[in-house]
Amino acid sequence: MASQDVLLKVENLTTSFKTDEDQITVLDDISFNLLHGESLGIVGESGCGKSVTALSIMRLLPKPAGQVEKGFITYKGDDILTLTTKQMHTIRGKKIAMIFQEPMTALNPVHRIGKQLGEIYQIHFPDMSEEDSRTAQIDILNKVGIPAPEKRLREYPHQLSGGMRQRVMIAMALSCKPDILIADEPTTALDVTTQNQILNLMRELQREIKMSIIFITHDLGVIAEMCDRVLVMYAGKIVEQASVNELFASPRHPYTKGLLDSIPRLDTPSKSRLEVIEGLVPNLKNIPKGCRFRTRCDFEIEQCGVTDPVVEAISEDSSRTVACIRWKELSK
Amino acid sequence: MTAYFIRRFLLIIPTFLGITILVFTVTRMVPGGPIERMLTEAQMASGDQVSFQSNNQGIAGSTLSESQLNQLKEYYGFDKPVLESYGIWLKNILLLDLGYSTRYGEPVWESIKQRLPISIYYGFMTMLLTYVVCIPLGILKAIKHKTPIDNISSILVFIGYAIPGYVAGIIVITIFAFYLEWFPLSGFTSNNFDELTFFGKIGDIIHHSVLPLIAYMSGGFAVMTFLMKNSLMDNLAADYVRTAMAKGLEFKTAVVKHAFRNSIIPIATNFGENITIFLAGSFLIEKIFNIDGFGLLGYESLVERDYPVVMGILVIGSLLSLIGNILSDITVALVDPRVRFGG
Ligand SMILES: Nc1ncnc2c1ncn2[C@@H]1O[C@H](COP(=O)(O)OP(=O)(O)OP(=O)(O)O)[C@@H](O)[C@H]1O
Ligand SMILES: [Mg+2]
Repeated sequence: MASQDVLLKVENLTTSFKTDEDQITVLDDISFNLLHGESLGIVGESGCGKSVTALSIMRLLPKPAGQVEKGFITYKGDDILTLTTKQMHTIRGKKIAMIFQEPMTALNPVHRIGKQLGEIYQIHFPDMSEEDSRTAQIDILNKVGIPAPEKRLREYPHQLSGGMRQRVMIAMALSCKPDILIADEPTTALDVTTQNQILNLMRELQREIKMSIIFITHDLGVIAEMCDRVLVMYAGKIVEQASVNELFASPRHPYTKGLLDSIPRLDTPSKSRLEVIEGLVPNLKNIPKGCRFRTRCDFEIEQCGVTDPVVEAISEDSSRTVACIRWKELSK
Repeated sequence: MTAYFIRRFLLIIPTFLGITILVFTVTRMVPGGPIERMLTEAQMASGDQVSFQSNNQGIAGSTLSESQLNQLKEYYGFDKPVLESYGIWLKNILLLDLGYSTRYGEPVWESIKQRLPISIYYGFMTMLLTYVVCIPLGILKAIKHKTPIDNISSILVFIGYAIPGYVAGIIVITIFAFYLEWFPLSGFTSNNFDELTFFGKIGDIIHHSVLPLIAYMSGGFAVMTFLMKNSLMDNLAADYVRTAMAKGLEFKTAVVKHAFRNSIIPIATNFGENITIFLAGSFLIEKIFNIDGFGLLGYESLVERDYPVVMGILVIGSLLSLIGNILSDITVALVDPRVRFGG
């Protein structure tokens, strides 16, 4: 994929949260590109900053605690971070849409599905007639595989199953045919069968609408199924970036290797213990100097604690990066 | 849902019977009933102070004859066992006869009817003002959380909360009626009320009721304001508000269309209790402002052992609050579609 196809460019994004006592930097200087039509995965353990990355792009960080400290998020030539609130309203939902982790709470319990779905057309196509809006709603519900959409429109969220609600969320996100869909763990709360149905649905719809997807998950199995490229995040940093094939074939960062080893596989004997990465994610309040992963890394040397590892481009088109001072010797 | 409400209504019957039997029995057992009171009064009148010490002596040495006494007992139904006279009382209640006040000799309903307008007025105004002031204030405080507006109003609201209504009454009466003379000291209308024009009358009533209303509101005010604030804050942080924003909704619209409706659910939970405004009133506040309302009537009837009036107020009060509970359920079902009452 050529670099001129960049749709969304995130540069040096640093986001912090103010708590009562102090300020913690949750995203530290992260940069990545989202290309046209690609599906980019973000993977990492809980608390590493995946959701915060998504919310920073949407400018939906919880106010007033969450704050982007520095960086640029360029979409179609504009820096999203400097747009007015008004301009932002025309982007959210129409150009960049988002699906959240919890389908159970993401819909308003007191409004009917039809009202919540219709609202999007009201916002972005104020001239649309009631009738056209209804037709569009039924269309999109059909598209996401909801049976008897006319009936569903009159129902409340609590009358729908988790999978159905997530389909409604997807329908809401896709109703304006956005350029970018950010899906924050859209299937984590669902059972495996429903999860597969939703993933298949998203793949189909992506092909049809030709949008780019940022797919957030902590499940590398889902990444393998859904994504073209992956960012691996650890404690607010991007430690590795690669195409899915490269990542699975030759992980460069010790953390990525650890993650890959922790995927349960059908071909390993059931008795053998699953490899898990020992230790805990460092507390973001007092991040160790140097590499953030070194406390859990099997390959730590003295040098790791001295300087922050730089993000090194290790492929010709610089689409593959790794942030580890020992990656070269370790990949031998 | 209909089945649920029918059942709820039917449940009123045993609850009502339980409450009234209990109180009825208590009035029978507590010493110093209406007959003893009358005897004492009779003795006081005749100047016979010797036999004042105890009830037995009082009866023995009373100015009332044995037959008079029995007549009285019969009149009040004290000659029959508790349950039997309760049965008679209940039958009369069903015939909408609340009996006669032992204190005034007039029908209980008359005593109650006289207080109704003023108590309804204060009850309704207190309710209205509480909603009209607390809900917007709670919303403002939630949206401006931790700003000076929020902090300062919190301090004021808490001061109001810490001070009991009657103390607040005394304070405002001292400052605004006594020293500043902005408002009248007491009463519901001016002496020349009848000569005033229609709007003059309304103005006069409002002028008289500002201070009592402050006293009435001072307690519930804090609770309602913070209920609204906390409830809205919870909902502002809810996932569905974020979803609404992610759709492209403006923050203001998301608050009004999404968070607000959800945040009034806790307030709707006790909306029905407002039906008891008919009987609202704190006797202390009524005493301070010389308001002739239900609080005072209830209190005085208890002190004077005017049991028919006590029972009359109890009947109306318990019926209203039982119906109020059902009304609350209906209100909640109206604002929250998740609430469906199983049949
Ligand atoms: N509202 C908040 N206030 C304070 N800190 C927050 C808040 N939201 C997130 N954080 C911090 O930001 C860090 C990253 O959180 P984030 O939600 O992005 O993690 P995540 O990678 O999405 O994890 P998960 O897989 O559990 O969803 C966490 O360590 C958390 O402590
Ligand atoms: Mg998350």
